[in-house]
Amino acid sequence: MTARTISFRLAPIEIQHLAALIDQLTVVIAAADEHPDPAVDRLVPAPYPDDPDAAEEFTAATRDDLLDRRTADAATVRGALSPFIDSDDAGDGENIDVTIRVVDIDPWLRTITALRLVIAGRLGITTDDEHDLDDPRFGVYDWLAYRLDGLIAIADGLDDARDLD
Amino acid sequence: MSTPVALPDLDETLDLQAVPLEPWQVVVWNDPVNLMSYVVRVFRTYFGYTAEHATTLMLAVHHDGHAIVATGPRETMEVHAQAMHDYGLWATVRKAPQ
Repeated sequence: MTARTISFRLAPIEIQHLAALIDQLTVVIAAADEHPDPAVDRLVPAPYPDDPDAAEEFTAATRDDLLDRRTADAATVRGALSPFIDSDDAGDGENIDVTIRVVDIDPWLRTITALRLVIAGRLGITTDDEHDLDDPRFGVYDWLAYRLDGLIAIADGLDDARDLD
Repeated sequence: MSTPVALPDLDETLDLQAVPLEPWQVVVWNDPVNLMSYVVRVFRTYFGYTAEHATTLMLAVHHDGHAIVATGPRETMEVHAQAMHDYGLWATVRKAPQ
């Protein structure tokens, strides 16, 4: 039996950028072990905003596991991109169909979401309309949203097809 | 499965009134980052809600700033909140207002 997969079409340059961003995400998460980082804290929200003691207890019990899972998810995505990295094709070739196992769709969605959350933290995005069109980093943030939305549509379509079986 | 030869004669009464089960809630809060399609998908796939219910909850988060997505025992709600955090949603746990 072969594992069920989907195809996610990306331009070579997108694959290079996504892989680089994921590598940075992994480094940023690891660094937060030693130095507090508000952008990483957003990946580990306080569940009891009005009860610092309970919040601290919960965070102590869950923070490391949560961040380990983000790192593991990131490694899954990075692994799927790896065959297309370091090729001679530096970014102007044909679009590439990246193969994603169906069981890996959630790790992909969570990873792109985590990237956007950390970038939003770095950019100081706190409201829906905060956008500086002259800042190219917002372009990266919006590009990730566009690709995330596309992947969600593929995943939702898969669920709909399953419901019809 | 075997059948016991004799049932122990226990004189046991369970007084469920003695420990009232206080319901807790998982609240998901609006944030400017997460996509509407993503929030709907998380509610649908994690909680098993219908697309309609998941969409209603997502819109409540978007327009009202938050929505109660689950109610039940505290431990279970903490598990759900952690799952929401896994998906990058901003979730908190609170005692259900009386």
